[in-house]
Formats: sequence, structure tokens, C-alpha cells
Amino acid sequence: MGKIKGLVSSLLLLFILVAIVGCGGNKRATEDGHEQTSNLNEKEGEKSKENPFAEAMELSIAVWDIESSLSDTENDEIYKMITEKFNISIKPLGITWDDYAQKIQMWAASNQLPDIFSIDAVGSQYYRKWVTQGIVKALPEDLSKYPYLKEYLNTDDIMGLKENGKLFAIPRKTWESLKYNSLDRVIAYRWDWAKAAGIEKEPETWEEFSALLKAVMEKNPEGTQPVGLTAGNVKLIGGFFWLYSNPAATSDGSGNDFKWIKEDGKFIPAVFSKGALSALNNMKDMNKQGLIDPDIGLIKGDQGYDKFASGKAVAILHAGGFLNSYKKILKERWSKIYPDNQFMDSVKVLKPLKSVDGKRYHPVFKTYWSESYFSGKISEQKMDRILSLYDFLVSKEGRELVWYGIKDADYGKSGETIEIIETEPLYDKYPSLGLFQTLAEWNLTDNYDMNNPAIADPDVRKAGVEYIDWVKQNTVTPEFDIRLTYMSTPTKDKFTVFDHDDLLNVLLSKKSTEEAWEQIIESYKAKGLDKMIEEVNLKAKELGIE
Amino acid sequence: MKTSRIPVFKTSLKDSSIAGKIFFYRYFYLMLLPVVIWYFVFSYTPMYGITLAFKSFNYNEGIIGSPWIGFQNFLDMVKDPGFISAFKNTLIISFCKLLIHFPVPIILSILLNEMTRRRLKKVYQTIFTFPHFISWVVMSGIIISILSKDGIVNQIISVFGGDAVSPLVTSSQFRTVIYTTHIWKQMGWDSIIYLAALANINPELLEAASIDGAGRFQKIMHITWPCIRGTAAILLILQIGLMLNIGSGFDQIFNLYNSSVYDVADTIDTFIFRTTFTIGSDFGYMTAVGLVKSVINLLLLITANYTVRKLGEQGIF
Repeated sequence: MGKIKGLVSSLLLLFILVAIVGCGGNKRATEDGHEQTSNLNEKEGEKSKENPFAEAMELSIAVWDIESSLSDTENDEIYKMITEKFNISIKPLGITWDDYAQKIQMWAASNQLPDIFSIDAVGSQYYRKWVTQGIVKALPEDLSKYPYLKEYLNTDDIMGLKENGKLFAIPRKTWESLKYNSLDRVIAYRWDWAKAAGIEKEPETWEEFSALLKAVMEKNPEGTQPVGLTAGNVKLIGGFFWLYSNPAATSDGSGNDFKWIKEDGKFIPAVFSKGALSALNNMKDMNKQGLIDPDIGLIKGDQGYDKFASGKAVAILHAGGFLNSYKKILKERWSKIYPDNQFMDSVKVLKPLKSVDGKRYHPVFKTYWSESYFSGKISEQKMDRILSLYDFLVSKEGRELVWYGIKDADYGKSGETIEIIETEPLYDKYPSLGLFQTLAEWNLTDNYDMNNPAIADPDVRKAGVEYIDWVKQNTVTPEFDIRLTYMSTPTKDKFTVFDHDDLLNVLLSKKSTEEAWEQIIESYKAKGLDKMIEEVNLKAKELGIE
Repeated sequence: MKTSRIPVFKTSLKDSSIAGKIFFYRYFYLMLLPVVIWYFVFSYTPMYGITLAFKSFNYNEGIIGSPWIGFQNFLDMVKDPGFISAFKNTLIISFCKLLIHFPVPIILSILLNEMTRRRLKKVYQTIFTFPHFISWVVMSGIIISILSKDGIVNQIISVFGGDAVSPLVTSSQFRTVIYTTHIWKQMGWDSIIYLAALANINPELLEAASIDGAGRFQKIMHITWPCIRGTAAILLILQIGLMLNIGSGFDQIFNLYNSSVYDVADTIDTFIFRTTFTIGSDFGYMTAVGLVKSVINLLLLITANYTVRKLGEQGIF
């Protein structure tokens, strides 16, 4: 019995020791890996003079859902082409849309950042710390070795990100201009119901849109008792309601991108402009009339899309432009509920309405969303390899490869016109496109082209192309100074404005708009609003920003 | 057949040194070792991270190398309206949860204990315990559906001609939802320990009381309750010690709240999460916030233990 006890106890102890040693194993392996890489770097330095990619390299990358993109690398020809071209292998580190911010911050805190990682960090407190503490590597000041990348980065809002003349991230460009931000907040509404309720003309003013919602709700065409306007996500509401009288207040929801305007000779965040109150009153009036979904504050996941597609909402405010109109509404829901119904005959997308000053504004965010960062620990050689990869991905050749597939197999070219050969979705054939299409940029602009099959339904694509053409011709970009959004001052670095939270508070408050808004402003003042305005104005003056 | 041999010492165990005693009980100590290691690795070693509350976190220097800034994080904390609101909400929600929820499992267990039909008792017990096993993510979906505009609550209200309610977006009603859903989820599970205590009551006491003419209520008040009072006292101390954790109820509140009810719903845990990962505040500041919560928890535990002992019940230390 004693021997058995002894044996069991010894085994237990051994197990614990193995577990402890095992826990430490990963780190050691990584450290060894680094050493091996640096040794290899030295040895193969000679070779690299002849062929810049002679030395094989492993890049660890954390991009959303990368693991599924690299699930079939052995049979993925595009993965093979790109990794062979740059002599790299890719080590995927999974992040999801729910956990990416937490994971990356934890990796940064524990010194385990991958070589490349994606996050929307610009303007946040941790972004400034990463930059000042060398956690992320700066891009070389001379980018002439990477001509396509240099051209890609050469826009005002990206150049405005420079800290002491250096860029510390490659923004994932989404749109060719701010006008395209109108696609980030679109309202799809039931045009068939509107016609049934006696509406004959597409709404152009806020009053007409309210009248449409009211008429349809009263008519209740399918007996579903629909709510008025619902949303894909409650964070989107600012992108619509501010357009009534305070368009520069539109924000991407990060809390850090609030824009500055000059009012009464002083720069202030646009959210706190005099124009805010009219927009809030308009929103509150619509809510009082019952035109806004009473559960808008509780919407989670895809509930908003479910409501709209199942006929329980007259209109939906959603992100993702016509891509989502197609994917989340038509493809995933509408086609199942109304199989015989022509989607674009029944649904229209609301064109930006006339503001109180008679102009039509579109929401403004940035031309990019999220950025690629590079660990501060990587060698110059590795950085060069990464930038070469990015240079390729934003080049014409690279874009054609990742958007249309392999030439003559998946697409052909007649002059500059692309002719699609492969009719099946390219993602099925080349899963790695999920990575390569989004590693350097989102490039959603090209989706609004009749030759681009990304919006698979031709009617939706046509509506999208017409919509953005109309927006380009008929809307005005709100005025603001992007340099102040990126400006760093002690108070501003810690200051965030979550305007969607404030709008929701006003919307649902039992108090009057003025009272509720005053209370919100007071809470911002308690967080240092006045001090921040003072600091920003002082610094703007020093920099000669008028 | 072999039998184990007890080690024989030259001197008696009573007189032997500590090392001798440890050697004598070596197998027991070996069995204890995993627990000690577990506590050391996962509970005591990370405690050095508390120092971050007095530092400004530097990514390059790590926790140990980051520069000391004294009590700056705590000074920032008391000036932060977000923290003040979260702190106040945590205390209110924690206290009310304890006050409202604590008696419920006791009453439920006594009621279940009074049931004579065993099968029915098991059915009820299962029904009451089941919600404990559903995560708050799923539970919140159910609750939101129940309380939405088209949910069952508003349908019932409309049948009686009342106005629709939206308690999840109404500050004055939100905490009620928190308390009731907490009871719904936990009361069955929390009653198990009382049911175990009730099973230990000597049936002769109850029989004797019946012979003396005691009714059901009298038996509950004079036999059942006194017999489980000690258990209730221990659980009360433990619950008070964890009050701010239970009250913060991160999973519950995080899945149910929204910005329109932050003023009444934002607790220390949700505040830490939001400001760390959404706003990106300094880890040192957030550690300071967490430390304040832990210190208050400890003080509450000591106070509760002291009070219970003063009232004549057995404490936990």
C-alpha cells in the first residue's frame, strides 16, 4: 500500500513538473526562433545582396479570421504564388472581430506581438504609447524602393498621421475619397410599402422621410406592424442623425476620431457645436412620433437585419454599403422570405437628405479603416520583406491577382476591361484571398464598378454604382480640419467622445433635449473638455493652423 | 497479503521535530503539493502585478521596470467621474443584490423541503436550478426578447391596456431587471447547500415537535431555521466577502446594459473593461481601480466575519 502511495505521489509530482516546464515551453521556443532568425540573417546577408528575397523568412501575422484563410495552403495556388515570390511562410495568429482589441493589447503588454497585426488604433491612448515606446516600427522615411506603397500612402489623411515625420502604420485604405463614406451609413427602406401607402416620390427632406415612415407604419401593408427606422448596430445612429444640422460630428464609433471645426473664432469638437441641438431635436421628434425602433438601443448581432428582412421594420440604417445590402439582407434573408420578390423593386436606398442649410451632406469618417502595424522588434530585413509584400498587394498586378484570381484561368483582359472566366466564388478556390485582399487595404471602391462581381447581384450592383455617382455629384463634404483630429495634447490624448452613446441617451431620456444635452456636456466638461479645447487652440496657434 | 507498514520512529511523534513530522506525513504533504503550487502560481505569483497600481505602465519595461508614480493613479481615480459613478453603482447593486437575493434560496430550500411528494420536489428543484447552467450571453438574449417591444411582457401589458415598457433602456427600471434576473438564475443553485443542511436535521426533533402539537410554520421557525442558521451565517460571510464581485456581475451587466443606462448600470468591472479595451487607458490606472475593489472586498469580509462572531455564530477565521 505504501509503495502504491509513493508511486502515485511521485507520478503526481512528475506531472506537475512536466506541466510547469510545458507552460514555459512556448516562450522558449519563440526566443529560440528569434535567435535562429537573427543567426540566419547574418549568415545569409551575403546572399541577399544578389536576390533580395534569397533568405527564407517566416512572418507571423494577426489579421481577422486568418486561420480560415490559410486553411488549405497546400492546394491554394495564389498562396503559393505570393509566398514563393517573396520567399516567405506565414504563421497565422488568430484574432476575431470580438477579441482583436483585447488580444493585441495583451500581446503588446506581454511583449508577444506578431510581426504584422491589424487594429484600429489611431488616436487611442495605446497607439501613442506604442509609438513613443517603440512598440511598433516606423516605416522608412524614404519609400522610393516601394513605389506603389508610396503612392498608396500619399493622401492627406494618411500623411496627417506622421509623428515627427514618420509613419508608424499602413492604414487599410477603404475608399478613394471621403464621399464614399456615405456608403458606410446607408438607409435601406421599403419602397414597395411606401408606394402602397400612397408615397410617389423618393424622400428628399427629413420631413418627407418622416412622412414616409409614418404613412407606411399606419398602412401596415403586410400586417406585421413594422417599426419605423431600425439599425444594424446602434453605434451607427450618429452617421445619420447628425446630418440634419451638424454633419462634421459624424464619427466612426472609436471615440478618438472626433472632428474639429471653428466656431466663434475658436476650434471646438464638432459634436459640441451650436448645430448639435437642432439635430438632436429632430431625432427626438422622430422618436416622439414613434418613427424610431423602440428597441434600437438593445439591438445585438444581426437582429436589425432580421427585423427589416422579415417585414418588422420599414427602414434600416446599416454599414457596409451595398455589399451588405446584398449579403446581409438580400442573400441571407430576403431571398428566403420573399423568393419571388425582386429586391431592388421593393427596396430603395435613401439618398442623403437636405440639411437645415439646404445642402446635402454625407457622413465623414476616414478614407481608411484600421491599420497594419509592425512589431518594433523585427529586423530591417524583415521590414523590407513586409514592405515589399505590401508594395505588391497595392500594385496593379497585385490587386488584379487578389481580386480577380489568376490571369487567363480566372479572368481575361481585353485592353483595360476585365472579363471574368471563373464563375464560382474565388474564395472557395483560393481561401488565402481572405487574407491577401485585406492585408494591405480593404479597397472597397472597386466594388462599385459594373465590371466587378463583388456585389454578386447585378441589380444591387447597378443601384450601388448609381448611388455613389449621385452622391459624388450632389453632396457636400462637411468642413473640418483633420490635423486637429490627429493632434496630441495631454488632455486630448485621454479624451474620447462616444457620440452614439450621447445620442442614444438623448433619444431615450425622459428629459427635454436641451436638458439631456446640457447634462451630457457637463459630464464632458468634468472629463476636461474645456482644458482640451484650450490646449488644442494653443497648439493650433503655435503651428499656424487657422 | 501484504499490509502497509507505519514508519517507526525512535522517539514519539509528539516529540519529533517539524521536519520529522513532515517526513512522517510525507504522503499527505505530497498530496497537498499540487494545491500549494496552484495557489502559488496562479494566486500569489501574479500579485506582484498589484505594484502596477503605483506605476505608469511602460510596454518596454514591463510590470517590474515601469516607473513608479506614487499615488497618482489613485488621485486620477477620485477625479474621474466615470469611476465615481461606477463605484457608486457597484456598491448599490452589490448591496441590493445581497439584500434581495440572499433570503431567496433559504426560503426556496425550506419550501422544497416541506414538499412531501418527492418526484414533484425533484422536478421543481431541476426547474429552479437549470438557469444556473445557462451562460449570461444566452440568458441576456432571452431576457432582451422577453422585455422587447414585441416581447411577452409588453404583450401582457397591452392586453390589459397598459403602456409598453422598456426596462432595459430606462435608468429607473434597469436595476430591477438586474436583481430579478440574478435571482432567477441563481436561486435554485444557491439553495442546494441549504437543502443539504436541511437533510441533516434530526427527524426525531421534528417528530417530537409534531407530538407536542407544533404546526408546520412553528416547526420551520423553531427547528428548521435554527438548524440551518449556522450555514446561512457562513454563506453570508462568504457572500459579503465576494459582494463587489457578485454585485459587479460582469457577465450579467455587460450582456444586458447599453449606454442609455450607464448612469445606473456601469460597475467597476464593466468600467475597467470598457476603459481598458475600448478607450485604451493606462494599465496602471486600471490596476489601481481593481485594487481598490479588492481592498474593499477584504474589508467587507473582515467586518462580516467579526459581526457574525459577535452575534454568536461561527466565523470562517
